Amino acid sequence: MLNKYTCLEKLAARRKDEIIITNMGIAKPWENLSDGPFDFASVDSGMGHAADFAHGLAIAQPNRRVITLNGDGSMLMCLGTLVTVAQRPVDNYALVIIENGTYEITGNQFVPGAGKINYETIARGAGIDAVYTVSDDKDFDHKLDILFEGKGPLVFVWKVEKANEPVPNFPILLWERAHRLRKALMESA
Amino acid sequence: MSSHKHTVLSAKIIVEELKKQGITHIVGLPDNGSRVLFELLWETAEIEVIQVSREGEAFAIASGIYLGGKNPALLIQNTGFLESGDAFRGTVHNMRIPILLLIGYRGYKTLIPGAPRVDSVATFLEPTLKAWDIPYSILTDDKEAEQISIGVKKAGDTSMPAAVLLAEETT
Repeated sequence: MLNKYTCLEKLAARRKDEIIITNMGIAKPWENLSDGPFDFASVDSGMGHAADFAHGLAIAQPNRRVITLNGDGSMLMCLGTLVTVAQRPVDNYALVIIENGTYEITGNQFVPGAGKINYETIARGAGIDAVYTVSDDKDFDHKLDILFEGKGPLVFVWKVEKANEPVPNFPILLWERAHRLRKALMESA
Repeated sequence: MSSHKHTVLSAKIIVEELKKQGITHIVGLPDNGSRVLFELLWETAEIEVIQVSREGEAFAIASGIYLGGKNPALLIQNTGFLESGDAFRGTVHNMRIPILLLIGYRGYKTLIPGAPRVDSVATFLEPTLKAWDIPYSILTDDKEAEQISIGVKKAGDTSMPAAVLLAEETT
């Protein structure tokens, strides 16, 4: 089993100019590691819609990698996104489903299918070929290259230990974060 | 509601309006009313169609496309619009995305007084648009096609979504 915080530290150490989309129990730990214009916390946003929001960004910005760190509870809210991504594939799209089996920020209640659901099978069944389930540190280190350099669409399933993140709260409003991202993308074009 | 006369909406005229406004992507899901419009859009090189699995996705994908520097619009039916409440709130509304929402007005004609059957989705649409504070106009005839350009301008001026309701099946 992986430790979420260790995974995020390794990701931050490797990350350069990729867009990183986070939500729920990942948003605050990631903000503690990186809070620049290309970091976008999908908080106070449409529930479960981080992965499809990122798909739109990847379509519009084909030369910049977009990595989404999505909770398993969030993924369950929008499984159709996997089909939509397969229908309109983009090379620069990488989705990480962080599977701890619970709704972490509301008190670790089990998500539907916890312990039984197989996200890799679902993603492959949706039509995505490059799917990797990772559950130990050695494999994580090995697969990090693929996350940053592999041809998308990519889906990773990180099997992580339970944690206890509170409800994320951001002083910068969603629209300010959104337009900060747009401005940075336009200026770097 | 002004009138319920039988008129037509030409897909070609709508597409020309969208091209005139520099729309780069249509994100949505076809229905009977928009069938011909989608078929024409799929053949239109200047506009890419992104077909979604459920309408809520369309709001999120379009928000990403806009923030990535392009100029998308949505094309969905009113049923899917109602299903998309939280996606609307959490993306185009809370992110302040200036975007045109083309919404098929299924059941528009059933609102005619004395109609034998009322499609409930038609009765919910305009009150919901008002409750969600979305400005809108109703496109009932090709002669009103400039409503699309007006909707795009309204969205741009307010940096918020604006809707145009397609009251007829496109032909």
